[in-house]
Amino acid sequence: MKPFDLVEPRSLAEAIGCLDRDDPAVRPIAGGTALMLMMKAGLFRPLRLVSLRAIEERFRRIAAEPDGELRIGAMATLASVERSPEVARLAPVITRTLRRLANRRVRNVATIGGHLAHADPHLDLPPVLVALGARLIIAGPAGEHAIAIEALFKGYLETVLRHDEMIAELIVPPQAGRQSAYLKCTARSADDWPSLGIAVSLSVAGGIIRDSRIVIGAATETPTRLAAAEAVLRGAAIDDAILRRAGEAAAAEAAIVSDQHGSAAYKKQLLRVGLGRAARSALAAAPEAPR
Amino acid sequence: MTKPLQRGQVGRSARRLEGRAKVTGRAEYVHNLRLPGMLYGKIFRSTVAHGRIRRIDVRAAQAMAGVERVVTGEDLHAVIPNPYYGPAFHDQPILALEKVRYAGEPVAVVLAADPHVAEEAAQLITAEYDELPAVFDEVEAASSAAIVHEVLKPAGIFPDLKHLEGRKNTNVALDFHLRRGDVEAGFAAADRIFEHSFRTQQVMHTPLEPMVSVADAGASAITIHTASQSPSFVRIEIARLLGWPENRVRVKVPYLGGGFGAKLYIKLEALVAALSLLVRRPVKVALTMEEQFFTITKHAATLRIKSGVAADGRIVARRCDVWWNGGAYADVGPRVTQKSGFTAAGPYDIENVHIESYAVYTNLPPAGALRGFGIPQLVWAYESHTDLIARALGLDPLEFRRKNILREGRPQATGTIMRDAAIEAVLDRLAQRMKWREPFDRGSGTLRRGRGLGIGFKASIAPTTSVAIITIAADGSCVLYSSTVDMGQGSDTAMAQIAAEVLDLPAEAIRVVHPDTDVTPYDMATLGSRSTYHMGNAVKRAAEDARDKLAALAAELGLPPGSNLPWPELFRRKYGMQAGNIVGVGSFIPSYASPDHDTGLTANATPFWMIGGAGAEVEIDTETGAVRVTKLVNVADAGTPINPAIVETQLSGGAIMQLGFTLSEEMQFRDGQLTNASLADYKIPGFHDLPTAMESAAVEAQEHGGPFGAKGVGESGTFGVSPAIANAIDDAVGVRLSALPLTAEAVWRALGEKRGEA
Repeated sequence: MKPFDLVEPRSLAEAIGCLDRDDPAVRPIAGGTALMLMMKAGLFRPLRLVSLRAIEERFRRIAAEPDGELRIGAMATLASVERSPEVARLAPVITRTLRRLANRRVRNVATIGGHLAHADPHLDLPPVLVALGARLIIAGPAGEHAIAIEALFKGYLETVLRHDEMIAELIVPPQAGRQSAYLKCTARSADDWPSLGIAVSLSVAGGIIRDSRIVIGAATETPTRLAAAEAVLRGAAIDDAILRRAGEAAAAEAAIVSDQHGSAAYKKQLLRVGLGRAARSALAAAPEAPR
Repeated sequence: MTKPLQRGQVGRSARRLEGRAKVTGRAEYVHNLRLPGMLYGKIFRSTVAHGRIRRIDVRAAQAMAGVERVVTGEDLHAVIPNPYYGPAFHDQPILALEKVRYAGEPVAVVLAADPHVAEEAAQLITAEYDELPAVFDEVEAASSAAIVHEVLKPAGIFPDLKHLEGRKNTNVALDFHLRRGDVEAGFAAADRIFEHSFRTQQVMHTPLEPMVSVADAGASAITIHTASQSPSFVRIEIARLLGWPENRVRVKVPYLGGGFGAKLYIKLEALVAALSLLVRRPVKVALTMEEQFFTITKHAATLRIKSGVAADGRIVARRCDVWWNGGAYADVGPRVTQKSGFTAAGPYDIENVHIESYAVYTNLPPAGALRGFGIPQLVWAYESHTDLIARALGLDPLEFRRKNILREGRPQATGTIMRDAAIEAVLDRLAQRMKWREPFDRGSGTLRRGRGLGIGFKASIAPTTSVAIITIAADGSCVLYSSTVDMGQGSDTAMAQIAAEVLDLPAEAIRVVHPDTDVTPYDMATLGSRSTYHMGNAVKRAAEDARDKLAALAAELGLPPGSNLPWPELFRRKYGMQAGNIVGVGSFIPSYASPDHDTGLTANATPFWMIGGAGAEVEIDTETGAVRVTKLVNVADAGTPINPAIVETQLSGGAIMQLGFTLSEEMQFRDGQLTNASLADYKIPGFHDLPTAMESAAVEAQEHGGPFGAKGVGESGTFGVSPAIANAIDDAVGVRLSALPLTAEAVWRALGEKRGEA
């Protein structure tokens, strides 16, 4: 590892000023759980790291708005999100997902902003947050703007963020009685990266699915919404046959790739079977944001 | 059952002597060692699997600020004229010379006072190779035109390798044969013939402390601090390489953070010794976790097994053909081939046996000893095969095993008569703990349940020597000097208990000195579950010698026999003050007879047998193939345990390690390039992967040649695990997997094939 500069600005604005729009070797570092591995492996050689640990405290805050919206500062650690009573009340699927995300040591230091900006397709929260319709506040030299979370991801370890932009805040809209679940499939050990992650968010009334959002991760380059499967479920009464049909539709439409976690054929089978299981588990879960 | 316990030091679950130092972070490890003026070495590795070295360009690395020196293989000739090492063959260059034989082989080293500078500079080295045809599969390599080593170079230590001297145009580093009875006649007379083929994958030891060595060369002597399981071997081999007498080479070993066979023989020691001699400064090389994958591994193997079974269900003939994928350097592979090879037919009483076992060179990272020394690969094959036969014959797998099991007093395939080998007792205990004869819930719907058994045995490597010294100081305190390495298995505690039993002291009062070849006497190595038996006997003899000398001193002082005068008083009366020492010495080598070269037969194959069996209950998700081990039972014959708690953790630790090799661990290669050399992509089991219920037990047994009836137990927990799980999967869903690891996808594919969807 080559020597590099480490700066520790006191504010987000100052941190943005330390970044360089044209230089990918100048990067922000939050928890560092991904970046340090890349540095140790020689995949990333920084000229300057901009540590975010001393920026304003409000970027660590987790707050519930009166209407049920959740606002999570980008510097909130995964462990603090996992333990947040607001998150457990308004979006319990996030709490449940975090319990099997990486391990306690990683969750204690990794931040939600870093988790999303890393854009590794194997991460668990991106598909979940897409299914919940989350938004991000992006901060840069020109100020702040909001984007839908699915707009963040461009490819493998690639986001739309410019080198002088950062995620400032995550906003999860009111879930208004939706029921959600995330199914993590690991191929080797329990703490392995997922071979497939399936996030399902349903709005159900009188046994009829009014609306569904189905998003997969890990098996595709970016979190991918499965429109055909959603169409099968829209307006349908819930039974095993319809869930199986949705699973078939999902397996047919998803552009799944083979990797060391499993062949494309096997991951399609996991999706075929897992979609119904995830939906069943969403329906068994308490509705998000109970009124 | 005789109770040899008189004083209660042996047979009690004493707490580990080093436990407090370890949990408080005070235990000594080589990783923490920094010597004044020390340089760090970073290895530059080959990127091709097989190639002739055309050019190594070190100029940019050498020019980098802070780099002391860049060293290539050719540079080493200045301090070591013939820089090839190895326990069985002198085939491995300290740094590649002329050729590279696997991707990841050490080619050059950068030395710098700052390890980060060394690492950065190593990335500036470039090398060009003329690529040569490479071979990776062990069966293909046995007859391939791609030759890994132009000429075989046996080390000359082992008589059964001498015939290989100078052999050319072959990748077969050792061919071991065993012929008992007439296997073809046996097949001809049999009622049914069964033939199956199995494969195991290449895996890694994954000690949590990666390999690390430091050498400090002086004008006429060298000291090597190393995380090694074999300090005495390191001393002898470094002395040989340097052409020095042994007494100029000092090897010191503190605690190890795990070994499992990875830290045997020479790993980094020859490299740091050569580097330190070249630059005349202390040199440390510490591998990363990732680099361990390119250092030593466990043999992948292809195993073919054919059995003839008589109408009454007795196995009458068995032929086994085993190819061991040794990788690019032999390491101790030829020993695995022979020492494990002769048990390839399993713990069964079979009249006609024919075994062919081949150590084969390939262009992959070298393979050596890993907890079981080849036995888990063999048991995987013969216990899967045994179950397949039982199923085909419609017999209960337990009853079929019981019918054929090798009983006390019967000859094993080599002709050696089985003694103190509780095979049947282990099988019975396993059945009892598995409640084998009781009804079993087989599940329903998409969740199906099954159960399976596996039992294996292993001979101790022989003949090997251990020497121990015990001193009694004038205040009566006792020190034990032994070159057995406590790498986490609890040998310090066990050896102290043995000495304490003889000397009537609390084990906790005995100081155990760690290996230092200037101080502690010779021991072959800490490997193959040999320490409790071999070093245990040496320690017992050393303690008895000290006790006898104390008695002689008492007699010399005119005390009546049986006088209980405190030891300090004896010294005071003899020397007039607190002065003097009693030095007790014990040395042990068991009797042994080499197998005949042509037939593999011998009347005395091993000083003792290790027996281990496993039973597994599994739950299979028929839609995804996911395998959950709900129960894992391990039973072993450990003789009479010196420390029952440590015996139990050795069994459960071995079983969990083998569980990883069974379900998830696999080194994946593409054209000889390892594609998952990190713990993020090579998955060892975590706590969430452990079976819901786990039981480990030792049967009541006694090893008559062992200290206080004990024998080794470090590997027995690994033997039966893989086939027990595969047999349970078959029992649950009727599919048979013949290759490890048993992944969910493999089960799902097999289920598809069974339904005709292949």
